[in-house]
Amino acid sequence: MTSQDIIAIASDLPDFEDHDKQEIKYTTCYMCACRCGIKVTVEDNKVRYIQGNPNHPVNKGVLCAKGNSGIMKQYSPAKLTSPLLRKEGTERGAGEFEEISWDRALDIVEKRLSHIRATDPKQLAYFTGRDQMQALTGMWASQFGTINWAAHGGFCSVNMAAGGLYTMGHAFWEFGDPDWENTKYFMMWGVAEDHSSNPLKLGLKRLKERGAKFVSVNPVRTGYQAIADEWVAIRPGTDGIFALSMIHVLLKNKLVDDEFLIRYTNSPQLVVNTPGKVGDGLFYRQMTEDSKADEGTIQIWDLQTETFADANRADISPALFGEFTAADGTPVRTAMSILIEKYLDDQYSPEVAAKECGVSAEDIERIALEMAHVAFKETITLDVEWTDWAGRKQDKFIGRPVSMHAMRGISAHSNGFQTCRALHLLQIMLGTIDCPGGHLAKPPFPKHIPPGIKPAKTNIPNTPLKSPPLGFPTCPEDLVIDDEGKPLRIDKAYSWDAPISCHGLMHMVISNAAKADPYKIDTLMLFMANMAWNSSMNTAQTLEMLTAKETDDTYKIPFIICSDAFNSEMVAYSDLVLPDTTYLERYDTISMLDRPISEPGAACDSVRTPVIEPDRNVLSWQEVMIEMAGRLKFPAFTKADGERKYKDYKDFIINFEKEPGIGFLAGYRGEDGTKSLRGEPNPRQWEAYEENQGFFEYKLADNQRYMRHANKDYLSLAKEAGWVGSTDQIIIEVYSEKLQKFRLAGQGLYDGPMPTEAHHKERLAEYFDPLPIYYVPLEEQRIDREEYPFHAVNQRPMFMYHSWDSQNAWLRQIMSQNYLYMNRVAGEKLGIDDLSWVWVESHNGKIRAQIKLMEGTNENTVWTWNAIAKRGGAWGLSEDTNEATDAFLMNHLISELLPAKGDSYDKITNSDPITGQAAWYDLRVKITPVENGETGAWPQFGPLKPQPNAKPSPSTLSYTSHKNVNIIRGWADTLLTGAKHVGQKNKKAKKS
Amino acid sequence: MKLGLVVDLDTCVGCHGCATACKQWNTSGTIGPLSDQDPYSKDPSGTWLNRIRTYEVGDTPNSKTVHMPMSCMHCEDAACVTVCPTGASYKREEDGIVLVDQDKCMGCNLCAWACPYGARELDAEQGTMKKCTLCVDRIYDLKLPEAERQPACVLTCPTRSRTFGDFDDPNSEVSQLVRERSGKQLLPELGYNPVNTYLPPRNKPVAEVHAQASVSQTVKGWVNKIITR
Amino acid sequence: MHPAFSVLIFTVASGAGYGLIFLLILGHLVGISALQDQMLILVAGITSLIFISCGLLASTLHLTNPKNAWRAFSRFKTSWLSREAVFAILFYPFVIGYLLAIYLQGSQLNGLSALLGVMSLVIAFITLFCTSMIYASLKTIKQWNTALTPVNYIVLGLMSGSLLLLAIQAMLAASPATDLYNLAFVFLAMGAVVKSIYFYWIGKPSGSTIKTATGFTQASVRLLDQGHSSNAFLNNEFGYTVEADKLLRIRMASLGLSFLIPALILMSTSSVLLVLAVFVCLAGLLAERWLFFAEARHVVRFFQANKKD
Ligand SMILES: Nc1nc2c(c(=O)[nH]1)N[C@H]1C(S)=C(S)[C@@H](COP(=O)(O)OP(=O)(O)OC[C@H]3O[C@@H](n4cnc5c(=O)[nH]c(N)nc54)[C@H](O)[C@@H]3O)O[C@H]1N2
Ligand SMILES: Nc1nc2c(c(=O)[nH]1)N[C@H]1C(S)=C(S)[C@@H](COP(=O)(O)OP(=O)(O)OC[C@H]3O[C@@H](n4cnc5c(=O)[nH]c(N)nc54)[C@H](O)[C@@H]3O)O[C@H]1N2
Ligand code: SF4
Ligand code: SF4
Ligand code: SF4
Ligand code: SF4
Ligand code: SF4
Ligand SMILES: [Mo]
Repeated sequence: MTSQDIIAIASDLPDFEDHDKQEIKYTTCYMCACRCGIKVTVEDNKVRYIQGNPNHPVNKGVLCAKGNSGIMKQYSPAKLTSPLLRKEGTERGAGEFEEISWDRALDIVEKRLSHIRATDPKQLAYFTGRDQMQALTGMWASQFGTINWAAHGGFCSVNMAAGGLYTMGHAFWEFGDPDWENTKYFMMWGVAEDHSSNPLKLGLKRLKERGAKFVSVNPVRTGYQAIADEWVAIRPGTDGIFALSMIHVLLKNKLVDDEFLIRYTNSPQLVVNTPGKVGDGLFYRQMTEDSKADEGTIQIWDLQTETFADANRADISPALFGEFTAADGTPVRTAMSILIEKYLDDQYSPEVAAKECGVSAEDIERIALEMAHVAFKETITLDVEWTDWAGRKQDKFIGRPVSMHAMRGISAHSNGFQTCRALHLLQIMLGTIDCPGGHLAKPPFPKHIPPGIKPAKTNIPNTPLKSPPLGFPTCPEDLVIDDEGKPLRIDKAYSWDAPISCHGLMHMVISNAAKADPYKIDTLMLFMANMAWNSSMNTAQTLEMLTAKETDDTYKIPFIICSDAFNSEMVAYSDLVLPDTTYLERYDTISMLDRPISEPGAACDSVRTPVIEPDRNVLSWQEVMIEMAGRLKFPAFTKADGERKYKDYKDFIINFEKEPGIGFLAGYRGEDGTKSLRGEPNPRQWEAYEENQGFFEYKLADNQRYMRHANKDYLSLAKEAGWVGSTDQIIIEVYSEKLQKFRLAGQGLYDGPMPTEAHHKERLAEYFDPLPIYYVPLEEQRIDREEYPFHAVNQRPMFMYHSWDSQNAWLRQIMSQNYLYMNRVAGEKLGIDDLSWVWVESHNGKIRAQIKLMEGTNENTVWTWNAIAKRGGAWGLSEDTNEATDAFLMNHLISELLPAKGDSYDKITNSDPITGQAAWYDLRVKITPVENGETGAWPQFGPLKPQPNAKPSPSTLSYTSHKNVNIIRGWADTLLTGAKHVGQKNKKAKKS
Repeated sequence: MKLGLVVDLDTCVGCHGCATACKQWNTSGTIGPLSDQDPYSKDPSGTWLNRIRTYEVGDTPNSKTVHMPMSCMHCEDAACVTVCPTGASYKREEDGIVLVDQDKCMGCNLCAWACPYGARELDAEQGTMKKCTLCVDRIYDLKLPEAERQPACVLTCPTRSRTFGDFDDPNSEVSQLVRERSGKQLLPELGYNPVNTYLPPRNKPVAEVHAQASVSQTVKGWVNKIITR
Repeated sequence: MHPAFSVLIFTVASGAGYGLIFLLILGHLVGISALQDQMLILVAGITSLIFISCGLLASTLHLTNPKNAWRAFSRFKTSWLSREAVFAILFYPFVIGYLLAIYLQGSQLNGLSALLGVMSLVIAFITLFCTSMIYASLKTIKQWNTALTPVNYIVLGLMSGSLLLLAIQAMLAASPATDLYNLAFVFLAMGAVVKSIYFYWIGKPSGSTIKTATGFTQASVRLLDQGHSSNAFLNNEFGYTVEADKLLRIRMASLGLSFLIPALILMSTSSVLLVLAVFVCLAGLLAERWLFFAEARHVVRFFQANKKD
């Protein structure tokens, strides 16, 4: 259609919108954690339209179903309207609140917290859920002085973070992306939606356009898997053996990128080979007289000089394979030799693997060889000159265009850390790390392995922690345990139960606190976490723990503060509720110090700025944090003269410096706003972001875009920007000496802290293998596989964010009830009919749910959409709403502890033994039809109360931001047009 | 002109983005509001102009999942228009867009009966018939940036599975897509001649496998190559 | 299709009304002796007007925006519903004129009253036809999109009309007139035949399938998700389903009530019973209308799945 046509036609049409009355504002979506840029049209403080910002690096103009429904979140009847204090003499959970002023609310918090801080800081447990402001909350906790802080990573996907950060310095999850523009073969493991949901969709489209192959490994075929070229319907929990078996195939055929392995990984490094002796399996180091263990320099065997040499020298040709004897007689061999010996073993052969994972031996072999073909026969090169870590000029980037993405299908299992390492090992063998067409890091990643932060252990009144509460242990010395080896943290993170729990174990906090194990806390402060419902394992019992009392009738968890924006299930179980603003009403930063919105080719961060005025008595959590930090006189928030340093959040963001020139926002720094990444505070920084549509994008130069673990051009920039501590090469750790140290501790061969209890020893010796391994998920090890024949997993619906969106009048029309999906053939075998009600039973309990039979599901697996069920009355919903009567929560079936067998494992968390990642998807169930035709979801919990003085939710909605302007069909046209309805042009329509 | 949409079934992941974008734009658009009934209680429902269906093609274990977004097809032989007694429903001569004049509709439902594609929904609150307007109030709004004179559903689609354009113009992107990807109409046998066209899933790309090492090679141990770091 | 009660009433009542007036005037014009009685013509005429008007009123009840009902005359050019509306209204002046003439000058026809009569019966017939075409013209509903639909509708209209006529005649003139009596019999027989043909015909599978609806013609296709978990407009309007056995029972009832029982009653020539026959028949026809909707499957159902509990 030509523009003349358009103009001609347009001139016949009325003015639909009064653009002069409308205002356009840019901010960042927060209907989920993807953080797309949005362009919001507002007219008289009402939202007309929320659209994607076409210039935004994350979403490039597109929006998902949630982002498009922001209006209905803004007008949700569940919005909290005022601070709430549990009524005197009412029980926690009854939801009886009185509305109080912010002054009173903040005074209560200040009084309580200043006492805790002055006496025993760790008695404040501060945990945050689906937030994106961990840089601020974490810093707040360290300033407060409590080690009991963590975000949701422990029940979310720490396995992906740790698996990557301990292997290659970046990861899947939000840390890296496939090179969508160049990859030719893409494997997606266990992803339904993920955080970068719009970028993934944009990327998949590019793949398909370019005819790249898309293989999806997933027991369920919906969403992304629906458009995959090949669907591998794996049995849950067995991806590790599938991946390692593909490595077996590659090794058998000598299809590995040995140049990559020698230059960029530790596979040629020499490992001490003294089984049963202290120091076995550690790297062989050249010691100088005064150097303590692991201070010496790691050795390799140089093929040219035929001598041992320092592994990190540039001028060497290390042997990739071989056994040698060191001058001091120590038998050593290369890490690669150990690797080959391990994976060529028959237990990793496709035939054996097939039996475990259900993928046929032929397919395992074929897929491995397909990837090898793309990696080695369809290699791409970018003729870009770059400088490597040693300062040598390189004339091109070599691309092995195989890429992968993996998420909670891998991480939400108790073997997820090792499985994640197995996937990375597969990528490494093919040389596809941060190369064109491969898996790319997003700044500030990659980082050195692991990042050099150690978890804090101190608990000193009125004193900040020496380091952040969360960090990256590299040896037993780093554990957060006391001299008897007992956990110091309330969630038992960094204890022998889960030594490398880098994100904490949020899913254990309530359970431990209620048992006063390891100790009793005073106040539990939750931000953006619905722990009384969908983010707790074992929800039914969790509700009891939240209300459990001591003999003296006081609560076992004495005081619960929650920050929420809506009348969620958690609100009813809190003593003090601090109502937050909505994402369209507040100032916020998506910071490089946190989980930024960077793209592989650009370092990015962004802000939220209010687009409409709050109509309620609410205060953003950001402001509450700054206010409390000031009141409690945290050093970093207080001037020498005791005066408050920052007047509010905006002021803090502008002026706070982590180190000189580095603040929360990396863009528009320096007095005049001309400096990027590092620079003095800019008093107009917020305005600068608003002028630049709410985000900052620093594009990397062509020579900084790949091989960043060994790219001096990049590493120097990264150091300048404060992303890494040094420009040293980031050596990819095929072989993890760090894990080996823990294993030695388990074997009693470590000179340093060692566990005393048998089960800890067993777990360390068994699971802390320095090379990726597969083991049967822990729940499956402890239940009767025949009795519980089905795996039960969840998926994220693309149109709902956890518990947030049942209050959304548009989104809940798409789904207000979830079904238990089961393969049709499996259902027919059991005589289970479509849409019939069944009992679903696990070792932890049973629920009643409605079945939906489908084709695209692994025959041993049942699944459902996550967090659709709600408590009646919560979320502004009626008591008899579908979410409450027919929808069900899988969480009741999932125990936070391992299945009880009366042994010492009974009390151990149902998590990955290495990282403490919640093992949601280890769940096994049995399914039986209901007798006597019962229907409806079970268990049922009584309805919750609406917040005090809440208006009743409307029974119909007709949302519009202005009276519609109808197009009126002309009279003649109406009367005279014939059957072929070729009408005459519309008359200029009058506003109706 | 013959305006309409092409929807790519090869890339649609069924995210419902286009459905909610449509709801969002049009509830304040020319045929708005689009009302919702029982929005916060049992069995919520409402008026939508674009809905996403999901089908499974083939039987276990060889099934394929397909997402099918459906809105008004702006049919060339739109019986929904011929049956309308009031003349509220009409097909525009200049661009083929099928519209409902909200001031004329008497809510008899006959047009919905005549539509094979479930594209028309009677608004329970307004009492008038609602349907996809092809975002006539965006594509002709000269005050919008030119790049944004597109239907809301097209702009928002995260997999860019939706394309808007003129099917009369053989060089338009939509016409090319239909040619190159042999686009399909739904229910062609009914003879409505829908303008909206669906691109069937592409054939799988052929992936070659790497030659396997001969047995002799595999049994031989690994030999070190001289490679400098 | 969802059987809206107002529409059932409308089609049955106006069908009978137009049938009655059509036969009445036709008989009067061709001079059937029993129909030359002024009283009879007036009573039957008024009765038909009552039936027709109630029907029309009922039909407006299902409009959700009745304030625009008057606009229904606009699209005479293409819309059968519009045409029906136009003729339904056009009918009144003629038939009222005709009845007035009879009232004023008795049953003897003169040029004017004859003309008015002819016009009335022609328009009555056309209106019947238009109503039936509203349904017959919908390609989306295989069970309606057939010549059998108008044939059925017209025959059943005339049938119920003939019964009415007979009953009224018998009430007024203590005994039923033979030719009206035979006429009713003939129509009952015709009605039974055409309806049986219809039932046989819709039994044969044909038309669109979920494969043509989705474009995947190679393999089996199953709807997994309709995109909304509670019923919406399309489910309520088109999702109407009744178990097969119930349908069969209602079919039997409808056949019995509409044709068989009236026929049996007719055997006994008691005028009082004839009135009963009329009501039984109308009840049967209501069931027949209900089936006409309940057994109609709109193609949209390939895109929808009703929520079961
Ligand atoms: N729309 C939407 N987006 C979200 C969220 C949301 O709630 N809604 N939540 C956000 C959050 S907090 C997170 S953590 C991410 C999570 O993003 P995802 O990792 O996509 O989350 P899940 O829905 O848990 O997807 C798990 C997938 O793995 C599959 N799976 C389960 N077990 C296995 C297995 O053993 N092997 C394999 N190969 N696959 C398996 C499941 O079928 C499912 O498809 O999503 C984020 N994005
Ligand atoms: N069975 C099962 N359970 C799971 C999962 C699973 O896959 N299966 N996934 C797990 C994972 S990965 C995660 S991350 C968790 C997520 O679970 P949670 O961390 O609990 O996150 P949500 O349920 O999304 O929301 C938590 C609270 O944030 C509140 N909220 C929303 N917006 C705002 C705001 O602007 N300000 C404030 N202060 N509060 C707000 C909501 O009202 C809600 O009460 O669920 C976990 N639970
Ligand atoms: S993915 Fe959707 S919900 Fe999440 S930020 Fe982007 S638009 Fe918003
Ligand atoms: S937005 Fe695009 S991908 Fe999502 S459902 Fe619509 S067409 Fe499919
Ligand atoms: S899709 Fe339905 S509403 Fe749209 S033009 Fe075709 S028949 Fe009419
Ligand atoms: S519902 Fe409205 S638009 Fe549809 S046929 Fe009736 S009058 Fe026309
Ligand atoms: S074109 Fe506009 S009205 Fe039609 S479906 Fe898309 S968004 Fe909705
Ligand atoms: Mo998560």
